[in-house]
Amino acid sequence: MKGLTPRRRLIKLSVIVLACTLVLSACSSNNSGTGSTDGNGNSNANSGTPADTANGPMTKYDPPIEISMVRNLSDVVENNVLSVLEGETFEDNRWSRIYEEQLGIKINYDWVVKGNPDSDAYKQKMNVTLASGEIPDFTPVDAIQLKQLVDSELIQDMTQYYDQYASPLLKDILEQEGTAPFDAATYDGKLMAIPETGSNMESGMYLWVRTDWLDNLGLEPPKTMADVRAISKAFTENDPDDNGQDDTYGLVATKDLWGGFGGLEGFMAGFNAYPDIWIEDESGELVYGSIQPEVRDALLALQEMTQNGELDKEFGIKDGAKVSEDIASGKIGMEYGEQWNSIWPLQLNVNNDSDAQWQAFPIVSDLADNTSIKVPLKFRTTKFFAVRNGVENPEAIIKLFNMHVEKNWGETAEFDKYYAPPEAESVWQLSPVQPAPPKKNVEAFRAIAAAREANDFSTLEGEAKTIQEKIDSYESGSEEGFALWGWERIYGPDGSMGIADQYDKNGQYLLDKFVGAPTPTLVERQSTLEKLQNEVFVKIILGDPIETFDKFVEDWNNLGGEQITQEVNEWYEQTK
Amino acid sequence: MHLMLLPGLIFIIIFAYIPMSGLTIAFQKFIPAKGLFGDQTWIGLDNFRYVFELPSFTQVVWNTLYISSLKLILGLVVPIVFAILLNELRNQLVKRSIQTTIYLPYFLSWVVLGGILIDILSPSRGILNEFIMMLGFEPVFFLGDNKWFPVTLVLSDVWKTFGYGTIIYLAALTGIDPGQYEAATIDGANRWQKAWHITIPGMRMVIVLLAVLSLGQLLNAGFDQVFNLYSPQVYQSGDIVDTFVYRIGLLDAQYGVATAVGFFKSVVSFILISVSYFCAYRFAKYRIF
Repeated sequence: MKGLTPRRRLIKLSVIVLACTLVLSACSSNNSGTGSTDGNGNSNANSGTPADTANGPMTKYDPPIEISMVRNLSDVVENNVLSVLEGETFEDNRWSRIYEEQLGIKINYDWVVKGNPDSDAYKQKMNVTLASGEIPDFTPVDAIQLKQLVDSELIQDMTQYYDQYASPLLKDILEQEGTAPFDAATYDGKLMAIPETGSNMESGMYLWVRTDWLDNLGLEPPKTMADVRAISKAFTENDPDDNGQDDTYGLVATKDLWGGFGGLEGFMAGFNAYPDIWIEDESGELVYGSIQPEVRDALLALQEMTQNGELDKEFGIKDGAKVSEDIASGKIGMEYGEQWNSIWPLQLNVNNDSDAQWQAFPIVSDLADNTSIKVPLKFRTTKFFAVRNGVENPEAIIKLFNMHVEKNWGETAEFDKYYAPPEAESVWQLSPVQPAPPKKNVEAFRAIAAAREANDFSTLEGEAKTIQEKIDSYESGSEEGFALWGWERIYGPDGSMGIADQYDKNGQYLLDKFVGAPTPTLVERQSTLEKLQNEVFVKIILGDPIETFDKFVEDWNNLGGEQITQEVNEWYEQTK
Repeated sequence: MHLMLLPGLIFIIIFAYIPMSGLTIAFQKFIPAKGLFGDQTWIGLDNFRYVFELPSFTQVVWNTLYISSLKLILGLVVPIVFAILLNELRNQLVKRSIQTTIYLPYFLSWVVLGGILIDILSPSRGILNEFIMMLGFEPVFFLGDNKWFPVTLVLSDVWKTFGYGTIIYLAALTGIDPGQYEAATIDGANRWQKAWHITIPGMRMVIVLLAVLSLGQLLNAGFDQVFNLYSPQVYQSGDIVDTFVYRIGLLDAQYGVATAVGFFKSVVSFILISVSYFCAYRFAKYRIF
């Protein structure tokens, strides 16, 4: 853009003039499509500063502005979205087009890294970018990186912009999880980044079981932890797939131990152990879940299961993708995971073997009353958009947010174009900003369940309607519908969301109690302590003496854990 | 004539001496965006204290020493033996082709070799394990088992580099006076006796020199190799100082701590290099100044 020739400058000028007249004429006609905005074309007719024109939540920039961002290109987007949608690329697709056409915002990516945001490649690139100080206009960061940016004084205060530009719909959506997402981004009373509020409820765990194996061996679904152990043993030793070979495992774990698929949080919760989150002890102080004695018991149980061959001894080097291959080839009988697991990876299993059947069950414990078991939830707001000092249109990021929620859940929503069109899954992930109503899934389920009750599906709209169409397609028994088995397992009568509904109504959720901005020691030590913990836990599960756990608790405290606990409790005192 | 040194000197100043100012990071609570000379908080030796408290750190230093001394010893013995054996070959064509073949892996980068090795050594579908299973043994998890991982590292490194060493020793062999062999033949010495009494003493200087000089490299256990082959499961036996620094610095963004570890390594390496330089002078009469 540097050094335009006089000729090009002339062209640019005439384009601007033309665009201005267009806006003026658009004002006099009908200004539909952008919702609650007024054009206000008068003030910008001869001033060049875009800030003047930008006065509504979704007013178009005229002339259009260019902003820079950075991103990762996940496997899902690459394989399930871009490979299916013709004529759309990562840089030029239905989302980038609507942002450009309706908001006048052209997004350029300084860099794009293949892989998920938690991959080493992405983290490394992001850390180098933050360290260099040459950050893009809008940077998606996690809470710890945000703290580093605040410390380095590279980003600007967003408080006033959020108040002014966030649409009522966006405010409603971002604030549904309470003030915590904003607290985590607030320093000295200033909102230093826009949180992309995540759904805490989505991190709830379910026990996915192969029910065809249960039937095969004449077993009942698990009600207690003892049942889980017995089923796991039977699945391992009693040849549930009748192939005459000792090639099945009762349960899975991945090298990362935790997470949405194959995560052990659900298993541990059966022992009242809540690793990786802060919980309140009897005295009302916050303590770290990972170092409590209940975790020791759970680890011991997992160790026994590994020794019995119920867990794959190679799990320590297998990530989720690798473990999904075992699922696909029908070697696994149970796994703890989130509500979407039936779409991936369980669907892979069913695709290979149409006799396979999975169902989600509530997690269990040995408590007398199973509805009193706590389902641990992580604080899921992990992405914040920080705005570099000196960016001329800091509110542009909020406009992107506004447009995203408007097109998916607003009055002008085109859900089956921008969120989940029939031809591809996860199309919303093409957008660099992805705010979503935290309870949308369970609400969609409730709408569908109510319609099922009334036997009238005509009232469904938006997401619920799209989902019901998928269930219908599956139930029609068509080949195409078979690929939608996973959806039926989530939103159908036996679906996982039904359990979420129950969890919610029974008040079983146990949310991470620490949701503030990261404390100083947390910033420095968190990742080291986490790695130490996971290494030790993997080793114990693979057979190291259980006393290693006691040593770990000691190390954890010495290496900053004690300090962190103190800081976290200071925060807790203030918020009480 | 001394002007010819200039490009090299400038290179060293820019890439070795100027970056040394970055060592100050080791004593700071470093915030990168404020810059090297910016307003950083000084925290004295806190970073070092933290590093030595880390339970994995002693293990990491030990792994580094263990892996690199094994590499050092085998990296010395294998090329010598091979050079002597090659030297005994009469057929020049065979000798040359063997020499070239074993030299080849030296030119491949660890990124490429890493991918190949992961496939070859895989417990479920690697060729090597299929062979082991054919012989009726349990498959060995070379890259995932803490007992086997260091061995795999050392052997694959020796395999990659011994061709290079062999050529150096072959060169040293050509420097031995053929008259000595003729004299020995006349005295009735057999091949073993000739190798033991003439060849090896003839190579002694080169051997001592190379051995002593590689001492300074003792804390470099080979970042490229380990980085491309390891996984969290074998951190216990395979994590070395350089990979440790990489993870703390670039993945966890704890620049102060990472610099402290790097500083520690430099100090130890400096001592080792001084000792080896002294030894080189002592045993091989080799000196720079």
